[in-house]
Amino acid sequence: MRPTATPHRTATVGRGLFGGLAAVGRGVSGGLAGVGRASRLGVAAGRSLGKVGMWAPQLSPQMARVGVASVPIALFIATFTGIVMSLQASYTLTGTIPLYFVGVLVSKTMILELGPVLTGLTLAGRVGANISAELGTMRVTEQVDALETLAYDPVAYLVAPRVLAGTIMFPVVALLAVTVGIASGWVAALQLLDMSSAEFVKGLRLFFEPWDVWFCVIKSVSFGFVVTSVGCFCGLSTRGGAEGVGRSTTRAVVASSMIILFLDAVWAAVLL
Amino acid sequence: MDRRRDALVGAVVILGVLAGITGSVWLASGWGSDGQPVRAVTADAGQTMPGAAVKFRGVDVGRVDRVRIAPGGEAVVIEMIVRPDLVLPAAPAVLLAPESMFGDWQAEIVSRDDFPGRVFLERPDLEALPGATLPDMSRLTATADEIARNLTVISDRFRIAFTEETAENLRRAIDNISALSDGLAEIVDQQANRFDDLADGVEQSAQDLGAAARAARLSFERIDAIVQNADVEAMVTDAGAAAANVRTVTEDAGVFLEDLHAAVQRADSTFARLDRLMAAAEAGEGSLGRLLTDPAIADGAEGALAEIRTLLADIRENPGRYLRFSVF
Repeated sequence: MRPTATPHRTATVGRGLFGGLAAVGRGVSGGLAGVGRASRLGVAAGRSLGKVGMWAPQLSPQMARVGVASVPIALFIATFTGIVMSLQASYTLTGTIPLYFVGVLVSKTMILELGPVLTGLTLAGRVGANISAELGTMRVTEQVDALETLAYDPVAYLVAPRVLAGTIMFPVVALLAVTVGIASGWVAALQLLDMSSAEFVKGLRLFFEPWDVWFCVIKSVSFGFVVTSVGCFCGLSTRGGAEGVGRSTTRAVVASSMIILFLDAVWAAVLL
Repeated sequence: MDRRRDALVGAVVILGVLAGITGSVWLASGWGSDGQPVRAVTADAGQTMPGAAVKFRGVDVGRVDRVRIAPGGEAVVIEMIVRPDLVLPAAPAVLLAPESMFGDWQAEIVSRDDFPGRVFLERPDLEALPGATLPDMSRLTATADEIARNLTVISDRFRIAFTEETAENLRRAIDNISALSDGLAEIVDQQANRFDDLADGVEQSAQDLGAAARAARLSFERIDAIVQNADVEAMVTDAGAAAANVRTVTEDAGVFLEDLHAAVQRADSTFARLDRLMAAAEAGEGSLGRLLTDPAIADGAEGALAEIRTLLADIRENPGRYLRFSVF
């Protein structure tokens, strides 16, 4: 005997459907509100570039924190990426393709993809989280409000130098990472594979185009801008206490990583 | 502390920028390896790109520096940088060819003498070595694929066309060809015999020509000896004198002929008058005509002659009767 719908069951289904629609609505409106706030922050940041006297003193310290302090971790990752690339390329190509294509694979992959993207993701975790946590803490402890009270423009003082520093330093770190990654792959090919230096260099040069380096720089600039901007936005949007700081930090890292991968695909489709 | 931090930031930025620039330049153009420039011109660059290997006798001696279209757009100029100590071979040329099956190409410096059948593009105005481009793997495989398709079509058509009737016709055609070949063999044998005869005749003619040539050679030798003995000059002198004499005789003969011509003309007029006289005489005109036509006159004349003859005899016997001489 088939069960029949009861008024109570019908009401439960109706509340669930309504709740789902409400969640979608809240998500859409919240997303649009976030886009609006991000746009407002972007406009404010753009305007604050005119206040050179406010952000310029902060630029060098932020470049040191965002770029110089990130060099070791970026080079560490690039070094082992280069080694792994070389070994895996050799493992894949041996017996089918001449081994000098290991050089092609290492150089092309490091310059076009792994160098900027891995550096971006790494710095999204390190720099983005750092900026978001710092600004979030300042927000929840009302230090940002204190700056406003003291007639400081928090965007010019806090956001502009960080975004500029990230935009400038990300490509620098990425270029160093690419260089070190290729060099480590070269050393691995010489020491761990049956390859000569001439073979590897031949592969490096075989399909190299100077545009590849420009592509790497363009991607890194966009990644630096995104990581620092998202970090600043999430930090300044922090609500609540320490828990809110944690949430904003997590949100900044996740959003930065997703945007980096999205931009990676966009740049590949547009520029290559 | 701030200055140290700023210096560190500056150092990292400069290091990163230098790494990008120098790495790009090194990878793109083989920076750090000075060499001599070599330029070649071809009709097609294939897949040759800057950075491709330049080889000589299989040894890597440089890199392709630049690939560009020649002015006018009818050729491609391949600019290369090769080792400074490289000595180009005799009749140097550049051959663009795939280096492997994976899309990488190379430019090989060769001697044209080693590729006599290959056509190299030459543009002396560009001051570039002649060049040629070999087809790449894709073209070869495409051509092989086309050939395979054609063979498939041919085999299909052959299978459709080759029926039992076709085989019977083919057998008959083979029989006919066999008979035709026998006839041709016979004709060839006959022609061979004729050619043998002809060859004998030609040989005899050749021998005769040889004898004639020997005789001619002897004659020429004699003439040469005569010429060398300087008798010709005397002969020429005598011939000149003889020619002068002949010329004089000819002139005399000319005068004689002129006189003879005048005499003939006079004789002709004489004969004409005589002819008119004879005609008049025959017509009985004049004394002579009457004498010839009238017998009485002839008889009278004969009688007169007899009387004259009698008179003369009388005179001779009696001159004094008719002649009288006195001195005073």
